[in-house]
Amino acid sequence: MEAFVGIDTNLERSRSDLPFKSIPAATHLFSRWFDSSPLTCALKHQRKMALHSFSSARFCTSKFPICFHLSKPSKFPLFSHRSISFEKIPTKSPPPLRSSSTQLQPMEELPPKLQEIIKLFQSVEEPKAKYEQLMFYGKNLNPLDTQFKTKENKVEGCVSQVWVRAYLDEDKNVFYQADSDSVLTKGLAALLVNGLSGRPAQEILRVPPDFAVLLGLQQSLTPSRNNGFLNMLKLMQRKALELLIEAEKGNGAYGNGQVVTDNSEKPVENSNSDSNVDENSGVRLSSQKSNEDNSSGLGSRGMRIKEKLERELSPIVLEVEDVSYQHAGHAGVRGSDGETHFNVRIVSKEFEGKSLVKRHRLIYGLLDEELQTGLHALSLVAKTPSEVEAK
Amino acid sequence: MVEGVFVKLPSFPFLNPAVSPSSPNCRLGFRRFSASLSAVVKEGSVSLGHSTRPDFPILHQEVNGSKLVYLDNAATSQKPTAVLKALQNYYETYNSNVHRGIHYLSAKATDEYELARKKVAAFINASDSTEIVFTRNATEAINLVAYSWGLSNLRPGSEIILSIAEHHSAIVPWQTIAQKTGAILRFVSLDENEVPDVEELRGMISERTELVVVHHVSNVLGSVLPIEDIVIWAHAVGAKVLVDACQSVPHMVVDVQGLDADFLVASSHKMCGPTGVGFLFGKSNLLLDMPPFLGGGEMISDVFLDHSTYAEPPSRFEAGTPAIGEAIGLGAAIDYLSGIGMQKIHDYEMELANYLYEKLCSVPNIRIYGPKPSDNIHRAALCSFNVENIHPTDLATFLDQQHGVAIRSGHHCAQPLHRHLGVNASARASLHFYNTREDVDEFIRSLDDTVSFFNSFK
Repeated sequence: MEAFVGIDTNLERSRSDLPFKSIPAATHLFSRWFDSSPLTCALKHQRKMALHSFSSARFCTSKFPICFHLSKPSKFPLFSHRSISFEKIPTKSPPPLRSSSTQLQPMEELPPKLQEIIKLFQSVEEPKAKYEQLMFYGKNLNPLDTQFKTKENKVEGCVSQVWVRAYLDEDKNVFYQADSDSVLTKGLAALLVNGLSGRPAQEILRVPPDFAVLLGLQQSLTPSRNNGFLNMLKLMQRKALELLIEAEKGNGAYGNGQVVTDNSEKPVENSNSDSNVDENSGVRLSSQKSNEDNSSGLGSRGMRIKEKLERELSPIVLEVEDVSYQHAGHAGVRGSDGETHFNVRIVSKEFEGKSLVKRHRLIYGLLDEELQTGLHALSLVAKTPSEVEAK
Repeated sequence: MVEGVFVKLPSFPFLNPAVSPSSPNCRLGFRRFSASLSAVVKEGSVSLGHSTRPDFPILHQEVNGSKLVYLDNAATSQKPTAVLKALQNYYETYNSNVHRGIHYLSAKATDEYELARKKVAAFINASDSTEIVFTRNATEAINLVAYSWGLSNLRPGSEIILSIAEHHSAIVPWQTIAQKTGAILRFVSLDENEVPDVEELRGMISERTELVVVHHVSNVLGSVLPIEDIVIWAHAVGAKVLVDACQSVPHMVVDVQGLDADFLVASSHKMCGPTGVGFLFGKSNLLLDMPPFLGGGEMISDVFLDHSTYAEPPSRFEAGTPAIGEAIGLGAAIDYLSGIGMQKIHDYEMELANYLYEKLCSVPNIRIYGPKPSDNIHRAALCSFNVENIHPTDLATFLDQQHGVAIRSGHHCAQPLHRHLGVNASARASLHFYNTREDVDEFIRSLDDTVSFFNSFK
């Protein structure tokens, strides 16, 4: 899913950004939530060693297939020249290159709970213990109500079944719930649920899948239908994006595809049904590109479509609905301002005597300019007044 | 040393009362247990697995810190050095496009390619090498029959009989063709032994039946179907039979003339050959009447701007440059297998199959799919199974990560079958002649460890 509108998921980061220098004291890492897990019980007496190990970059063992390349120019100049000393620390054995040379995102950019989880996993090398930890998370995962085990919530993949549900709270933070019939997958799901819940959508969207490498679970990062972990993360990120877009739509004019943090009072549940665009006409809008506030919640293109059809066809009924959010992530959305898919219902005398094909051609002809500049799809219902009355 | 091992197995009725007596050579391997076992295994002799293992370099490695135990042979088999050498030799000394060139290299490549075709024909006892069409794999071969034979022979109301245990490649193309032609698909279910119900199949065959599509050996159930009988019943009503022999050709003697099959498909990569090549066997008279599948070079006779005439089979169905090196590699694989002897391979694998089944039964709360082996019911050397309350993916992941044991988890391209069995997925361990009893022991030991690990967390 590279087509997150407006989000740069480019994974090029400076290798020297690994900011383990700035790790807080190890005692902060183990919040109460972790206290009874197998790893922390074993680790409680190792805390000092863990702290020491972080600062000496003990994680650079052969288990972690991380390649320390020389850094590329960083997108985050803040970090670019800090951790030079780490570049000199040799790894125990040359780690095998993963499929691509994507470099890791600085840990500090990851959601804090996720960082904690990663550090926990890194401090224990034995794979069996890691699996135990994973299963512990899975065991403690809040159960997902059967009503949420829908097709929309199901992670693509043919090996085990995983469902993920996402919703926003009042502060527009994304919360997740998940379930799986496979214990290990449930553990991974729990890991993601715990690591990502409670964070704003943009932060979640920036999480690159290769953080999984740091867990040392030998988790494959190859996109494939069998890669439950990768597909889970992608679904969670897609749901976060959808929630965000819906929330913004719910606030009024959907002007563009830029991700903006809104402060809405309403919690918005993710749903894939057609949203009622009229409902929030009374809500105040925060920053947005288009100032065309209107009752139908259309952005600039939507307005242009409406105007043109009104002008040319003098319709009795005209409904223009922006359903682009349903296609967020779809290839057609990329590069546009987000207004790509519309439902249009129009009743006009102009259609009399014209076949269905002719009516559609007429509409397409009028909207030709829009179609050339990013309008991707129109779903049309074109009737004459007599046809409507006859029903 | 293996007599009396199956004391606990109940005796089963004959699979089919009308089964024709096995030929004296027992081509399909329907032999009595004791005879086969004592004939092959003598005290102190080196097993086939041990004697062939050195030929397979890939088996001698460690994964995740443990010795590799490769038990996913039903998905793909490993290749002996002879095959690797043949491929290398081809590319190093005589790689050239076939059928077209005049120069020395091209002539040599053509000779070797056609020789490979002859080897395949001889391997399955086809009457002529022109009955062998090289394809990319068995799936493509089935699609070839579907689009070429199917589209020109099926009419609205024609019936195609399949079993619910077929591989997706034997179902999906026929769904498409049925939609295009108006033909109807009918499915045979499983009987109480968890094998496709042969009696039900016999009952389903009628004048409307145009084609019967069946596997020879099931990649999930491990069962073997009586192809000879099915062919007799089908031919009696003028129907054709397509045999999916992917899991049989690599493991036992397959004789297309003895079976009298109309079409038979198999993949090279499951029989110690390279990936990228497979073959379709079709009776000459059938292939001659079939229109081309893919269009292009090689399959034509004369090309004009508005029409073309086509070549004779098998070239008619081999458009474009074929997988020359790979076909030659398949020929080398056949030489290797013939050097051992398919009957010997089959006997050894029978013994391993029973050993695997018996040892798997000892794992608590295990459910193995398919028939119980007995005097009359033979299982292939594979077992699909589930352990209660443990997801097969968890099993497979742990086995791989902690023990280096490679098995498969999923639906094994047989979703309808799994739906019928009431599960989403199963784990599967499948053996080949280069596996040993020690491999099975290691697998069971690791499985016990894995099951305890997951159970301790409940």
